[in-house]
Amino acid sequence: MFHWLEKNPFFFAVGVFLVIAFAGLVEILPNFGEASRPVVGLKPYTVLELAGKEVYKKDNCIACHSQLIRPFKSETDRYGQYSLSGEYAYDRPFLWGSKRTGPDLHRIGNYRSTDWHENHMWDPKSVIPQSIMPAYKHQFSNIADIETAYAEAVTVKELFNTPYDVDGGVALGSWEDARAAALAEAKEIAADMKNQDVKDLVANDQIPEIVALIAYMNKLK
Amino acid sequence: MNSLMIKALAFSAVLMGATIFVVKYMNVDLSDPVNLITMLGAAAIAFLTFGVAAKYINQMKTDKAEGELTDDNWDGIGEYKNELPGGWAYSFLGTIIWAMWYWTVGYPVNAYSQIGEYNKEVKAYNAQFQEMHKNADADTLQAMGESIFLVQCAPCHGETADGLSGKAQDLTARMAKDQILDVIAKGSNQLGFPMGAMPAGMASGADAEAIADYIVGGMQGQAPAAYATCAACHGADGQGMNGMSPNITKYDEKIVTQVLANGKKGMIGKMPSFNNRLTPVQEKALATYLQSL
Ligand code: HEC
Ligand code: HEC
Ligand code: HEC
Repeated sequence: MFHWLEKNPFFFAVGVFLVIAFAGLVEILPNFGEASRPVVGLKPYTVLELAGKEVYKKDNCIACHSQLIRPFKSETDRYGQYSLSGEYAYDRPFLWGSKRTGPDLHRIGNYRSTDWHENHMWDPKSVIPQSIMPAYKHQFSNIADIETAYAEAVTVKELFNTPYDVDGGVALGSWEDARAAALAEAKEIAADMKNQDVKDLVANDQIPEIVALIAYMNKLK
Repeated sequence: MNSLMIKALAFSAVLMGATIFVVKYMNVDLSDPVNLITMLGAAAIAFLTFGVAAKYINQMKTDKAEGELTDDNWDGIGEYKNELPGGWAYSFLGTIIWAMWYWTVGYPVNAYSQIGEYNKEVKAYNAQFQEMHKNADADTLQAMGESIFLVQCAPCHGETADGLSGKAQDLTARMAKDQILDVIAKGSNQLGFPMGAMPAGMASGADAEAIADYIVGGMQGQAPAAYATCAACHGADGQGMNGMSPNITKYDEKIVTQVLANGKKGMIGKMPSFNNRLTPVQEKALATYLQSL
């Protein structure tokens, strides 16, 4: 066996790799498996929130914002409790980001509100005079893609057993159910907003992107 | 000493001379320890490189092979019986002993955890913070309040606390007239005062207007008769009867801590609760700061 390995450098290299990697694997894998299980009380995203997450990805907020609070006092003072792996269990993909031109957003739902996001997304300088964040006025008229969000939710439910439709959890149901639920959620958010165009759209059963995005922001806690 | 050694030493001397030249004529500040250490390091490297190289070249030139051969012999090539070098053997033994210690005690007992370090750091900081600000005076609270306000509150209330033209409460004044009318009409039950809820519709029409004007005007002069309803809970002076209900004349410590603990959703918008995100000293500091506006 060893003689054979000595004559076959490729397999020898593979063997060396396995021996060296072994210690890492037994230490890292079980720990990782444990830590990445959903934290207690974690719920999957509603369809409206998923649509907001799509807006977040589409408008590339991740280029300037992270969603990962590190265990440093300076960060937990500003953003709240540090992030745990298990909190991302239903994030497919997770949006950790790697650049903070703007602040972290992992718990933005704890310290900002619907009306603030409305002002800020329309014109960041109106609330933060020195802000360099771009305005996102188009989100107030673009319609959010609820169909795709529903398809995404059904996919992760079927494929990864994401717990939709469980007791005390998030209901998904048929497309009609999901659409009605998303509209109801959107109406609640629009009621806290001031923009008349947005209110009119939602009253006509259409959901502008900004409403979905705010639903997603408010879910990040 | 042979010629090679002399050449090597001469070369090191030239390099050291160059180093000293650079230090002298490029105005390197040697009182800065980093510069000093760098210069000494450069000198040591110059000396060691040539010293060691010369020693071994010399050895190769002059050494004669001698010693006891092992019994093995491969086509005329033999091997000397050499003792293990002592330093090597002892460090090998040392690492074996260290590995046993690390396996059984070192790793299991002292394993590093980032969260552990964080917890320790926060605990130490909090203890120090509490100790330092146990009896904070008004100036300290004022400065602390201002800096917390700029980080946590200014994004909504604005850097001057003016509420950014109606986007949040203008904290340089107590509630405006339309806000008071809104509370009178709708009631309120969210701030967690001992008295509980404020019922809706305690006054209406001209009475409500008169009350609101009176409160906004700083409760000067004769109170309108209808204010008697309000006085039952808020006190004749509007100060909230020692924290039983909100002080409607100014931001005292009680209203600030209640709003921070419960958040508030009113006519203007929603303020999220700051539950557990600020310490009692910090809340007191914020109240001090708000009162100074
Ligand atoms: C060019 C970089 C950039 C992009 C892209 C960007 N932001 Fe920002 N964002 C910032 C900066 C800088 C700030 C801090 C100043 C401010 O609050 O406006 C900020 C602040 C924020 C805040 C307030 C956070 C806090 O704690 O105060 C939110 C919420 C936010 N951004 C959401 C978004 C969303 C949603 C998107 C995508 C639609 C987005 N941002 C895209 C740069 C960016
Ligand atoms: C039954 C007792 C009671 C009466 C009577 C009453 N209030 Fe109140 N009021 C309260 C309580 C308790 C709160 C706090 C409500 C909460 O927790 O949201 C409050 C809140 C308020 C607030 C909001 C304060 C803030 O900072 O948000 C205003 C303004 C106010 N009252 C004005 C009045 C006026 C004007 C009247 C008379 C027409 C009146 N109240 C009568 C108990 C009362
Ligand atoms: C997300 C935005 C936001 C943040 C952050 C925020 N506030 Fe507010 N705050 C509001 C809004 C909006 C109101 C007005 C609510 C209403 O009455 O409609 C308000 C009202 C208040 C009031 C008046 C409450 C009353 O009963 O009259 C106080 C005091 C206050 N905030 C203090 C603070 C302090 C101190 C901080 C920082 C620790 C802070 N706020 C952070 C949005 C915010």
